[in-house]
Amino acid sequence: MNAALNIPYRMGAALLLIADQTGGIAIMAGQVVRRLVPPRIDRYELFRNAYRMGVQSVPIIAATAGFTGALMVIQGAPIVERYNARNIIGWSAMFTTFRELGPLLIALMFNGRVGANNTAELGTMVVTEQIDGLRALAIDPITYLVVPRYLSIAIMMTALVIIGDFVAILGAMGMAWGILDVWPRQFYYSAMPMLQTWDFSVGVIKGFFYGNMIALTSCYFGLSTRGGAPGVGRSVNASVVAAASGVFIVDYLSTFILH
Amino acid sequence: MIELFDVHKHFKEPVLRGVSLSVPAKGIYALIGPGAAGKSILFKIIAGLVTPERGSVRVNGEEVVGRREREMMDLRRGIGMLFQNYALFDLSVAENIAFPLRRLFDFSEDEIEARVAERLERVALPGFQDRNPASCSGGQKKRIGVARATIARAPIVLYDEPTAGLDPVTSQKIYNLIREEQRAQESTVMVISSDVNGVLSIADRVGMLHKGRLIFDGTVDEARVCPTPEVNQFVHGLTEGPL
Amino acid sequence: MTEAAAQTLDAATDEPPLPKRSALTDMLGELADLWRVTLDTLFYTFNHKREKGAVITQCYAIGNRSLFFMVVTMGFIGAIVVYQIGIQTARIIPDMSLVGATYVKLLIRDLAASVGAMPLATRVGAGIAAEIGSMVVTEQTDALRMSAADPVDYLVVPRFLASVLMGTSILLIGGAVAYFAGMLICNLSFDVNPYVYMNFSMVTSGDCILGFIKCLVYGGTIALVSSQRGLRTFGGSEGVGRATTEAVVGSLFAIITLNLIMSTIGNFLLPA
Repeated sequence: MNAALNIPYRMGAALLLIADQTGGIAIMAGQVVRRLVPPRIDRYELFRNAYRMGVQSVPIIAATAGFTGALMVIQGAPIVERYNARNIIGWSAMFTTFRELGPLLIALMFNGRVGANNTAELGTMVVTEQIDGLRALAIDPITYLVVPRYLSIAIMMTALVIIGDFVAILGAMGMAWGILDVWPRQFYYSAMPMLQTWDFSVGVIKGFFYGNMIALTSCYFGLSTRGGAPGVGRSVNASVVAAASGVFIVDYLSTFILH
Repeated sequence: MIELFDVHKHFKEPVLRGVSLSVPAKGIYALIGPGAAGKSILFKIIAGLVTPERGSVRVNGEEVVGRREREMMDLRRGIGMLFQNYALFDLSVAENIAFPLRRLFDFSEDEIEARVAERLERVALPGFQDRNPASCSGGQKKRIGVARATIARAPIVLYDEPTAGLDPVTSQKIYNLIREEQRAQESTVMVISSDVNGVLSIADRVGMLHKGRLIFDGTVDEARVCPTPEVNQFVHGLTEGPL
Repeated sequence: MTEAAAQTLDAATDEPPLPKRSALTDMLGELADLWRVTLDTLFYTFNHKREKGAVITQCYAIGNRSLFFMVVTMGFIGAIVVYQIGIQTARIIPDMSLVGATYVKLLIRDLAASVGAMPLATRVGAGIAAEIGSMVVTEQTDALRMSAADPVDYLVVPRFLASVLMGTSILLIGGAVAYFAGMLICNLSFDVNPYVYMNFSMVTSGDCILGFIKCLVYGGTIALVSSQRGLRTFGGSEGVGRATTEAVVGSLFAIITLNLIMSTIGNFLLPA
């Protein structure tokens, strides 16, 4: 094929691939919803996954959120010092963390830890023919594997954003105390009156949307794995990238909708 | 000449528990045993790819254990190895086979090309130079692996499961190839195989590993009449017995 | 050998005691291993001739193939961040003229590098770990070592160099995309004229130096953390999945930690 035709050809192929994956994720969403009304949930699987995915992620998510809060104070510090605006540092750091950066960074971390792991597990089950095994036993892989994972990822992501927000406050307080001599009490009283419940809620709602995105994407890519150990690596790779893109697009849309 | 003395290795649990073994130079030594007996690890320890916790390994009289990675070059020039999972790189077949030659020796391009062609001829895959290994069948990949293991004409060649997953005809061809190569190069060859009958048809000596220990070491004829129940059962493929 | 005899033999051989393991010793062990890989990588970077074209191949895999993803991502991030700064400003002072100036300072000093590094780590880190991990479980790294090609030299060094070079370039490009996406949003949502938006008066040389150092460090960190995870893969397809997961989490966590350290030091050494 000559070079001039090659570029549009590859662009077209890439677009078709993206369309294919988006469609696949949408179909999976439909399949999951159909099994949720009326709910048919394997409760044991749900709690097991919620524990593994949610509870065991708390340390890393807490660290991420704490560092994010601290970072927002460092980034705000020059501006605060220039205008001598110590009384708004608490508000300015928490506003950005709650609404935007907290949920976003937690989602990226959660995507790396839980989403990637989920794809790897499902992918391994595909390449070792365990999914076919389930089908042969007349067990529906969507009900047994996908629905509990979807629910626990979406719920746990939301819960982790709430936990993360509290840890972020602590991180920001510590850093403000350390580099700006703003005492925690002062920090707290500067932040609270200006922060609205809505600022907090926006982040939590976003967290729920990110959770949906990560859950559906990771399950889809896991179940569409082909080709042995390298295949699992490829689909994990594709899954984290697709979920991260999805998170950014959802973030963009929700930022404007949830003004 | 390969000598191991009291080699111990554990990962999460012990894999080798004090293996002592002496493989005489020039000949085929078959290493048999049930799965997870530590056969592959033993090969990797001989090649210096895995360091044992305890024990000593001598290849041609030189100690292998405790050398640093950068000091292994001389040792590995003298060892060719076929890996269980083929371990072929994402390069053309010719580049795969030429890889050890390029990295370990200084040969001219013509010389390398000639040797690769000769090897491919030998393993009955003439004209495969520009293929990608990913598009080859299991038997072809094994044969490409054999070509790579023998290209440097190393005095020691280790074959890890050369016939796993292959049909009996292809298996026998590969065994014959190993035998002929060994005769032509007068090399010291070790073969791991689960296909006991096939590998015993070409081996001079045989050792059996079981649960991390060497429970038999002797000639093939001795193995066939060995009274130890595990060896007897495994060599004759019986269902009755301790295994 | 009877069962009883086997047991006596078990008891007779004194096996070396297994070292005690805990989460803390595991983590310290991993950090020590990462440090070894880093030192080896630096050693080979300066002391060895490389395969022809290896770095270029990796530059293409790491750079060109991440470019589209990063441009899209950074476009969205730029738009979002400006929007947040805008509504934040609107709550204190209704003057939008300094949004552009504040944003570009934040972008150069931190956001372009640190926020951009997170999607980059996801994309590049997962790729490196999956690729090296697959080579480990199919014994290709052992085959490399048999041919005296140390996997650190043959696999990690080209990825490290490519990641530093292309990572930095991509983060700079991403920063520019985020800047212009911000300009668009500022104009559409807050009616800020592009001429007013393009205000670089608050940017200092210290901001630029700090931002650039961050880009270089993140590029190198992503490659090193992910390669180390890939090289320590064990156990088939499950292992490759596990390594990929750990590479993404490890790189992201390393970026956040290093950002905190570099920002704190930068706050004292290169004050804004």
